[in-house]
Amino acid sequence: MAHLAHYKEAHPLPFVITHWINLVAMICLIITGFLIHFPVSGTMGVARGVHVFFGFVIFINCVVRMIMSLFVKSAPTGGTRKQTADFKSWLPQKDNRHQAGAWIKYYLFLKKDHPLSAKLGVPQKLSYLLIPILIILMFITGLALWTPTAGALAGFTSFFGGAMSVRIIHYFGMFVFIIFMFIHVYLANVEGTEPTKLMFFHKEHGGLVYDPDKHVIVGDDNLQPRNE
Amino acid sequence: MEQETSTVDFGSMLEARGVSRRDFLKFCGALAVAAGLSQAAAPRVAIALEKSVIGAKEGGLFPVLWIEGASCTGCTESFAQIETPDVGKIVLELISLNYSDVLSAGAGYSVELAKKQTIESGSPYIVVYEGGITQGFGSNTLRVAMETGEEILCHAAEHAAAVVALGSCAVNGGWMAAYPNPAQATGVQAILKKHNIGTPVVNIPGCPANPEWLMSVLVQVLMMGGAEALVAGDVPAVVKTLGLDGEGKPQGIFGQTIHDNCERRGHFENGEFVYEFGSKEEELGYCLYPLGCKGPQTKSNCGVTMWNNRRSWCIQAGSPCLGCCEANPNDPGDNWVEVNTPFYERHRDLHIGDWFFQPTVVAGAITGIVALALIIHGFGMKKSGRTDGGAPFEQRRAWDVKNPDKSIGQYEYSIYEDNDPVVLQKAQQEIAKQYEQATEEVAEAAEAAAEIEEGR
Ligand code: SF4
Ligand code: SF4
Repeated sequence: MAHLAHYKEAHPLPFVITHWINLVAMICLIITGFLIHFPVSGTMGVARGVHVFFGFVIFINCVVRMIMSLFVKSAPTGGTRKQTADFKSWLPQKDNRHQAGAWIKYYLFLKKDHPLSAKLGVPQKLSYLLIPILIILMFITGLALWTPTAGALAGFTSFFGGAMSVRIIHYFGMFVFIIFMFIHVYLANVEGTEPTKLMFFHKEHGGLVYDPDKHVIVGDDNLQPRNE
Repeated sequence: MEQETSTVDFGSMLEARGVSRRDFLKFCGALAVAAGLSQAAAPRVAIALEKSVIGAKEGGLFPVLWIEGASCTGCTESFAQIETPDVGKIVLELISLNYSDVLSAGAGYSVELAKKQTIESGSPYIVVYEGGITQGFGSNTLRVAMETGEEILCHAAEHAAAVVALGSCAVNGGWMAAYPNPAQATGVQAILKKHNIGTPVVNIPGCPANPEWLMSVLVQVLMMGGAEALVAGDVPAVVKTLGLDGEGKPQGIFGQTIHDNCERRGHFENGEFVYEFGSKEEELGYCLYPLGCKGPQTKSNCGVTMWNNRRSWCIQAGSPCLGCCEANPNDPGDNWVEVNTPFYERHRDLHIGDWFFQPTVVAGAITGIVALALIIHGFGMKKSGRTDGGAPFEQRRAWDVKNPDKSIGQYEYSIYEDNDPVVLQKAQQEIAKQYEQATEEVAEAAEAAAEIEEGR
């Protein structure tokens, strides 16, 4: 047992909600996406309606989440209740600096001890930067294929080599999402399910205390009520 | 009086071809629809046609040069296959077909001369160009009368009022531009751009192009105000009269997808599909989407105009749309064969060199490999005891150890430094052990000393 304490300051309520929305939207989009590509009798109308609906939901959710990150505060690392503007823990942080190699070595079993890090490890940080870009790309390619908006995006479509190419980009994009989800779910849970319980249900869990200003572990917190 | 004469003349013209007045009006309505107008425009088309025919009798025929590029002649065949005395032929009588590789009665020197005279006459003419233009091998894969295909097009187009690129090959190379395209085939618009020729291009894709589409363009150009604009060289007016879109295609014909006007669309929406040829679903006329129908992404009005004198069309005949009208004049790679093969698959084939594959195969394989890698990694994590909260944290970052002067962590505050209870406890134990050892040694020494004392 060597993880940092899981405090709900890491994931303020608005982000718990956007995370839930992302989860539901993404799963619905993937299922209906498959149903559109490999049609099953009787499902086409519903699948398309649901797909278009959640396409808008996930895009709007992504934009809202990005705007909120500018002013909603969250803990910049695990193991602390201190908070800063959320977007800062999205961008490279001092706590992460020079740690990419350490993370890769750790996951390749070439490094025995756990790298110190910010809220997001280096690999996670890179993948989370990619996700909004991917959502936007999926949204635009989706609109380019959707009849009501296809005309307005004709230039975009021909830039990418026609409707067939846009369809294939959109299709590959879905697999990138699936792969991201596999890795994301795996990394979030492989060392214990505490981060997941915190993310979804705001359930806190004790552990080591990290000081985001001094960038070191400074204590231990078993979450027992303290005598003041 | 004059009106009366002309009507009689026109009526007898129709009669001579075995066409009733009723058939003629029906045809005008069809032309109007093909041109993207409503049926209600039929009388307008009829009047325009009559006038033009009269005009034609007075010697005002519009010259047309129909030139074959790298083509299979399919578009000409399609146009010429009108088997009964058909009203469509009347349109042909509105133009003076001064040159056609396939249809001209003359051959060799005489037709080449006719072409030359038309080009040099100084009066406006239209070029209908069929087939692609091959640029590879010094453009020598096509040579007619000492000129390469590329030169023929440029010479003819330079002084033309407009070029109609007829068929997908003429639009962007068509199947000739498909991989690996050794002849470097491309379309009319790209070649004119390459040679800085500003003649307006009307793109009519299709493999072959539907004859009615060409007729509708000719009707618009010759009769509905297009001609004056062409003669005046007023490109924006031409574009407007013909309703051309950004790719130079008449929007009334190529503005909507096959899927938009498909008679099987109801089955698509209900989720009733044909998964296999010869099945019960096929018999029921369900939607052909799972069999690779390219209707949803192919823009053309086949479902409205239909084919072979409006008898039927691909999807009515039971074939998924192959997307033969997919042709981007600015991108020879976006040709219908490249983009739509295999015809019965939902996606095109991708290729790396000569290795062809479907997107699903690659995407599925990569996803599978990642999933497998994660499972194997999970066993590794389990074995190394990291699944219960992860490995213990490093005490100092490796980089900080190497660069103590630029260190990020302030380790003097770390619990792992001297105030670490674990370290402290270990140290205390060590001291206790050493103390014990020392006491033991002292005791032993004392014992030894006592023995020596006794021995004395
Ligand atoms: S047959 Fe093709 S064009 Fe017609 S509804 Fe089905 S998918 Fe669309
Ligand atoms: S239905 Fe499709 S394949 Fe058939 S002619 Fe039209 S565009 Fe071409």
